[in-house]
Amino acid sequence: MYRELAALLRREYLRWVRAPMWIVAGLMMPILYLALFGQAFDLGKLVPPNPQAQAGLSSALLGAPDYFSYFAVGMVGMVAVTSSLFAGTGVIFDKQLGILQRTISTPARRSVIFASSLIFRGFLVVLPIFIVLGLARLLAFIPGFTGLTVVENVGPAGVLEIVVGILAISMAFTSLFLAFGFLFTRVESYFGVVNLLNLPILFTSNALYPAGTSPLWLQHITAYNPISLAVNVMRENFFGASYYAYPAYVYLGGLLAWAAALILLALALGSRALKTK
Amino acid sequence: MDSKHAIMVEDLVKTYPPDVHAVKGISFQVPPGQIFGFLGPNGAGKTTTVSMLTTLLRPTKGRAVVGGIDVAEEPRRVRRAIGLVFQDSTADGELTGRENMEVAAGLFGMSSAECRGRIDELLASMDLKEAAGRRVKGYSGGMKRRLELAVSLVHTPEVLFLDEPTIGLDPQGRAGFWRYISQMRKEQEVTVFMTTHYLDEVENLADRVSIIDHGKIIASGSNDALKERVGGDEIEVRVGKGTPVLTTALSAVPTVREVKREGDLYRVKCPRGEAVLSSLVKACDLPGASIEGIRVLRPSLDRVFLELTGKAYREEGYDEGRAAASSAFHRRRQGGG
Ligand SMILES: Nc1ncnc2c1ncn2[C@@H]1O[C@H](COP(=O)(O)OP(=O)(O)O)[C@@H](O)[C@H]1O
Ligand SMILES: [Mg+2]
Repeated sequence: MYRELAALLRREYLRWVRAPMWIVAGLMMPILYLALFGQAFDLGKLVPPNPQAQAGLSSALLGAPDYFSYFAVGMVGMVAVTSSLFAGTGVIFDKQLGILQRTISTPARRSVIFASSLIFRGFLVVLPIFIVLGLARLLAFIPGFTGLTVVENVGPAGVLEIVVGILAISMAFTSLFLAFGFLFTRVESYFGVVNLLNLPILFTSNALYPAGTSPLWLQHITAYNPISLAVNVMRENFFGASYYAYPAYVYLGGLLAWAAALILLALALGSRALKTK
Repeated sequence: MDSKHAIMVEDLVKTYPPDVHAVKGISFQVPPGQIFGFLGPNGAGKTTTVSMLTTLLRPTKGRAVVGGIDVAEEPRRVRRAIGLVFQDSTADGELTGRENMEVAAGLFGMSSAECRGRIDELLASMDLKEAAGRRVKGYSGGMKRRLELAVSLVHTPEVLFLDEPTIGLDPQGRAGFWRYISQMRKEQEVTVFMTTHYLDEVENLADRVSIIDHGKIIASGSNDALKERVGGDEIEVRVGKGTPVLTTALSAVPTVREVKREGDLYRVKCPRGEAVLSSLVKACDLPGASIEGIRVLRPSLDRVFLELTGKAYREEGYDEGRAAASSAFHRRRQGGG
């Protein structure tokens, strides 16, 4: 089982490293967002410098010391969606090229074939997330740049919550889009649905701007959006709990439920696609 | 009882929902070590049959036992025992030939130490040693086919399935591919189930042949028996001037069954063309009957069909170009939808 998994992961890896533009584009995108959008757009500058207005800003940013810190965490949610958009394309190409037929004609277990896609595609999401977080934090130490400023003391439990949260949000979106990869046989159909989904998912979250300004019905959606949940887990650990109704682990629980549900969805469509007809 | 056959098929049926009756109850056996040729035109049900025997498709009815294992009961054990060359290429173009083989070996649970020697050996015998480190997308059609063969053999299968392995290759590439099959058979004991729509391919290689049309086996037997059924070879003899005397002389040659004269052209039917060539030439040793041309025509699929079904082969004028087009069509069909 281990050898089968290793063989499949190696194939995915080799395909990946042989498309350098793909890697560069995939990693550059979040870095560009951080460097351009994050640096250029400072909500704080729009607010008058009197203490009352500043307190209002701090509350709108849910305790984050500046908009960039708020935004950098939100980038994690954004990167989770944008990097997983392609998660299902590998399966579709494998179907079209007959590679999937070859794979399922071997004694390798279906669960291993499924797991290899999920693991590798998940890795392609987790990787840029950590790069973005690391880079944002790094910028805080470089003069002339605004970086991610962490206000709270994040203990081991907090670090664990954050890492599990990142893995969960990555798995959630990887599974969602992988599921569509198993469902469709044409890239056109796949991207039709993926494009329909990705912006609403992103913009009904509190990743990029505070939710407080939106209408109530939208705020309800936002509260359950998996990106919001992931972002809450991180912001609460980084910037303090005073603006949150629940402790971070509650949001993490919700996020894990999303991840589990979406993995099950992918598993259902995956086993259907890998099954003998 | 099953173990004395490498493949045993009983009343196998496949109906694609809702009502495409692709395979309508076929039965046959293949003894171990033999090459079994499965011949039929496009859409006859060859790929469907191969897919059922290789556990990729669930039979609607009937039973199939491969390598002594029932395909419906223990599909994973069957997969371990078989190799499969698909009608369409399945190699990953972004990977090198060797990497494709390593991935395949890994999928059969082989360790890299275990498979290294085997991979080297197969790459060498398929003449892919030099190309092994290059990405497959740059391979020629023939090289890709040979790689498919090497990949399908990496775990030393008991039974090898070849589904129209030469489709899309030029005649030279086809002949080359079959040379590698013969070579491979010398190196290892393996039962081969091959499908094709080229009669000459089964003629030169297969121990036994079944012809399938519209999902039914319409004839089975050894090569000779099949050729016998369609009247064997036809020899065209063109002479300077045809005469009734020559017709009589040609008819008198042993094993000749029938002679038809069309002016200066004689069509001679007999079971084995080569065997009577020299006698035919001698028979033409008559005044004015100098031979201007002579050629042996193998029984064509068309003629087999005509004989067995009373209708012409469904794809008249089938040629290489069509073969390539149909291969592309299959690829699209599998990918699309
Ligand atoms: N997935 C499928 N669904 C419905 N019909 C199919 C499918 N695959 C093949 N067929 C039909 O079944 C018949 C046999 O096809 P196939 O086994 O591919 O023939 P061959 O390999 O001899 O060309 C054809 O009529 C074909 O159109
Ligand atoms: Mg076919």
